[in-house]
Amino acid sequence: MQACIETRQVSKIFGGLTAVNSVDLTVPEKSIASIIGPNGAGKTTLFNCISGYYKPEHGQILFYGSPIQGQQTFAVAALGIARTYQNIRLFGDMTAIENIMLGQYPRFSANWVDAILSTKRERNEEKQAIEEGRRLLKFVGLDGMGDTLARNLPYGAQRRLEIARALANQPRLLLLDEPTAGMNPQETDKMTHFIRSLRDTLGITILLIEHDMRVVMDISDQITVLDYGTKIAEGQPKDIQSNQRVIEAYLGPGGSTLTRKYQQRKKQRHDAKN
Amino acid sequence: MENKASSHLLKYGRLVRPVAGTLIGLFLVWRLFTVLVIERNFSADTWVRFGLSGLILGGMYALIAIGYTLVYGIMFMINFAHGEVMMLGAFGGYFTFELLRYIPAATPENPDLNFLNAHPIISVILAFAVGIFVSATVGFFLEKIAYRPLRKAPRLILLITAIGASFFLQNLSMLAFGPQRKNIINPDILDRGTGWTLTISGNPVLISYTGVFSLVLSALLMIGLYILVMRTKLGRAMRAVAQDKNTAYLMGVDVDDVISKTFIISGVLAGAAGVMWDIHMGLVNHYVGFLPGIKAFTAAVMGGIGNIPGAMLGGMFLGILESLGPAALGIDFQLKDVIAFSILVLVLIVRPSGILGEKLSEEKL
Amino acid sequence: MKTATRNGFQTGITFGVIVVTMFLIGFTVIGAALVAKIFGTSVSSGSIPPLPFFVIFISLVGLWNGATAARRPLTGADEFKPALVAGLLAGLVTGIFSAVVALVFGMLAANKIDVRTYLVAISPESIKMYLFGQDAVTGSLLSLVLLTVSSVAGSALAVTLRTNAKVRGFFQKAAESYTNAIHSERAIKLRNNPSARYAFLALVAAALIILPRTWGGYWNYVLGTVGIYIILGLGLNIITGWAGQLVIGYVAFFAVGAYTFALLTAPAPHHLMWNFWLALILGVLAAGISGLLIGLPILNLRGDYLAIVTLGAAEIVRILLKSDLMTPYTAGPRGIRDIGGPTLFGRSFTSDVDFMYLIIIAVLVVSFLAYRLQNSRTGKAWVAVNQDETVARATGINAYTSKLLALALSAAIAGLAGALFASRNQFTGPDDHQLMVAINVICLVIVGGIGNIPGVFLGAFALKGLPEVLREIENYRMLVFGILLIVMMRLRPEGFLPAKRPALEKNTPPSGQEA
Repeated sequence: MQACIETRQVSKIFGGLTAVNSVDLTVPEKSIASIIGPNGAGKTTLFNCISGYYKPEHGQILFYGSPIQGQQTFAVAALGIARTYQNIRLFGDMTAIENIMLGQYPRFSANWVDAILSTKRERNEEKQAIEEGRRLLKFVGLDGMGDTLARNLPYGAQRRLEIARALANQPRLLLLDEPTAGMNPQETDKMTHFIRSLRDTLGITILLIEHDMRVVMDISDQITVLDYGTKIAEGQPKDIQSNQRVIEAYLGPGGSTLTRKYQQRKKQRHDAKN
Repeated sequence: MENKASSHLLKYGRLVRPVAGTLIGLFLVWRLFTVLVIERNFSADTWVRFGLSGLILGGMYALIAIGYTLVYGIMFMINFAHGEVMMLGAFGGYFTFELLRYIPAATPENPDLNFLNAHPIISVILAFAVGIFVSATVGFFLEKIAYRPLRKAPRLILLITAIGASFFLQNLSMLAFGPQRKNIINPDILDRGTGWTLTISGNPVLISYTGVFSLVLSALLMIGLYILVMRTKLGRAMRAVAQDKNTAYLMGVDVDDVISKTFIISGVLAGAAGVMWDIHMGLVNHYVGFLPGIKAFTAAVMGGIGNIPGAMLGGMFLGILESLGPAALGIDFQLKDVIAFSILVLVLIVRPSGILGEKLSEEKL
Repeated sequence: MKTATRNGFQTGITFGVIVVTMFLIGFTVIGAALVAKIFGTSVSSGSIPPLPFFVIFISLVGLWNGATAARRPLTGADEFKPALVAGLLAGLVTGIFSAVVALVFGMLAANKIDVRTYLVAISPESIKMYLFGQDAVTGSLLSLVLLTVSSVAGSALAVTLRTNAKVRGFFQKAAESYTNAIHSERAIKLRNNPSARYAFLALVAAALIILPRTWGGYWNYVLGTVGIYIILGLGLNIITGWAGQLVIGYVAFFAVGAYTFALLTAPAPHHLMWNFWLALILGVLAAGISGLLIGLPILNLRGDYLAIVTLGAAEIVRILLKSDLMTPYTAGPRGIRDIGGPTLFGRSFTSDVDFMYLIIIAVLVVSFLAYRLQNSRTGKAWVAVNQDETVARATGINAYTSKLLALALSAAIAGLAGALFASRNQFTGPDDHQLMVAINVICLVIVGGIGNIPGVFLGAFALKGLPEVLREIENYRMLVFGILLIVMMRLRPEGFLPAKRPALEKNTPPSGQEA
């Protein structure tokens, strides 16, 4: 299977702090990959490097085989990489459908002269954009709310709108930064289901940062664990669950012993009950 | 297609900086060469004279520039009305002198003596006290009335408010005090024509008392400010707020209070600069704050905005450049303001982070 | 009661400062003259209006004082008493401020000391009026009493209007019938009826054609200026209202347009005498290119740097225009005279009516452009960059070129306004291009409604048209603009006619016929 996104020895340094340290990451096409790790592990920094917001000091980032590191954000977006943010960042004073139409921006080409002359290109594109916008609104379950200002939407709707805006670009790679943050269990389940359907129906590769382990273990094909900017583990969910270094990264040294004891006790209790 | 075109444009945009920098550099070198080596219109004493007046002017610019930098570092806004704060301080000093001139202090030897000349030192201290008080008060209320309600507003709104405040203060003093320039009459010992005389290449160069007085005072004030910011609790709080308002607040710093005090401090410095302007320049009207204000902002940007030593250095540097520039480049003295503004534009083109670099947290960029 | 005392005290101090300031800048005389104008008595400028008008003016200030002091929240079920207390207190405090000032200046006047050396606006006559023609002590006491009484009356009036069921019912009814009228089926039908729409357009068109011929040269001049400011406002609205970048030195582009046009068409200093239309186009282009050049190095920096750099550029342009260095090229401080007027097929059109038509056409063209751009892909990208530049970039918008385009278009439109202005006046000089012009434009865009095209029209009529009618306040215009900017930013930053987003999900936009 072809790799969708690949980072090779990527490092990002802020002053004296190495936020991302020689990280290798390969996400196969049409898979769901997660990056996990404690706070400050460099997950969002890695996202920012991929989406072009930061320029990594070392290493290469390959998108379908071609290097994209150091390119401008808007150029990266135009290649088909879309993202969402940890703390939702919508264009609050614009309507929901306008947010989606901005997501489509790189796919259209009508410029200001077209707008003034109202050329055929402009009219066709506008029509197509609105139709597609309506379709996407329906897809994320926001139909009827398209003309509401984005900042007036409820929280869950804002999350979905942000994803809809990212999808509007017809991305080949979708970066989701904590998509279930601040959601209750029902909403989280819905979102998990939704993310999986994105991959299954639209064939988009998805790379996500998530803190909710239930979600991560549930949907990921592959998990990468970062700690202090360094990759400490990689593999399928069940490998990660039992990986000693991961547990220590989360719980501190001695954590793995604790976990083992906890699991033993749990097992004993389970046995005792039966 | 459009992206390609725009990426080309971006490439040109990046090229503008080195290309413009080199071209302008070459032009400057050529002009300097013609004027200094070929034409030689001015002898050494003239240069010393220009340099001195630049140094004195630079001291005042530095004081005002610190106000810009302090406020920008903390609130992340250009306090456009800061020049007007200085202007009102200058009026404060002017009115004090005028008032003291009317108070008789006759002695048997000298029946016409007034308070201003009888007690010149007290008079100057009083003028500074009044000027500084006026400026600090204006700065305090400006922040409290105009800026504080907009703490969470977008920057554009703050900037527009500051422009509004600037025009309000400027026009208010024009309407109240009249548009014409007012002459300031100093105490006799600080008469503007007097001073030490040096002889350079056969010509006398006057080092005026007012100039030396201004320069020394601005140096003292800058040292004082540096100690305040680096050594006191308030200074520490100011630096903390400048770095990260939220964290400072969580650490128990009263952010509103710190911002308030920052405005007072910049008002104090601007007021002192205003009274120095009175004493050294001798003219005041509603417009005296506007150009020095913008030039001081230039100085702050030149030194790297948010950076206090940078503002001091930038102010001195700008004052000297402005005084020497017209002569060194062989252009008309009418155009000395053009030099200041060109420096502003050039600094932003060539090195927008200033000579000493900016001291701002990342969210402010 | 405690809130009432605090409200009263605070309001009293605020109004006290306002009254004293008004006296110091001579606005008490102007205020009285304005009142006189309302009553149909014209007062020539510089002379003192009759005393009764001053009394009315001060009482109005007092009423306002009281009404402000009586604002909510007041404690207690019965609002009336605390409101009166607040009003009384506010009136007393303001009155004391006023009385002290009156006393001081009354004494000075009685001792024949002319304060005009220091405070130019305070003539002996204005002091006399402020003292109601009495001596210092009586006058200041009268001032205290008048301000207190009117303030109490003001608070009583405010509470009555607020609490009286009858009055409130009346206002509610009025508001209801207004909304009903607007949303009634018949009104909606009428608005959506194409023939009614065309009839309305025809009516407007007829008015625009007939009025300039009938209302005479003065109104053509005033409204021509308003029109030019509408063009300027629409231009600034692109870069400031939509793309969110403040351009303080906007007047620089106005100057570039005006001077390019003037130099190409005037007999002196170059004797080029080009065709009007060609020069107009070149003026627009020159301004647009200057916008591009200023934007290239600056627009990828912090937003507020653009404001200052353009301010610097505007000052450089003005100083250069004035300087001896440029006099051979730009005619120096005397300015350029005999600038060409429009010609068509060899005939020249230079009467005030012709110019009014030209300006009307230009306003229509520019607003058409603005409407077309507003909700286009480009327009949306500007708003996105304004709201969150980082995210805009991540959605594929090149924020830099986007802002650059906005600045160039704004500058070009300013150039058009400059060229028209120079051509109409047949003169342009450095003093036409002072920073005040730009501040005026910023102010009108903000007051009207930032980012909104009808808002620009409203702002231009209110800020450029109204002061022409109220000649008395001419000197106070910039002061008022300063206050207006501060107050608007605090109370209503979106302006009187805020921008609205289109409903795209429900209605497909009618392509190209909105304008």
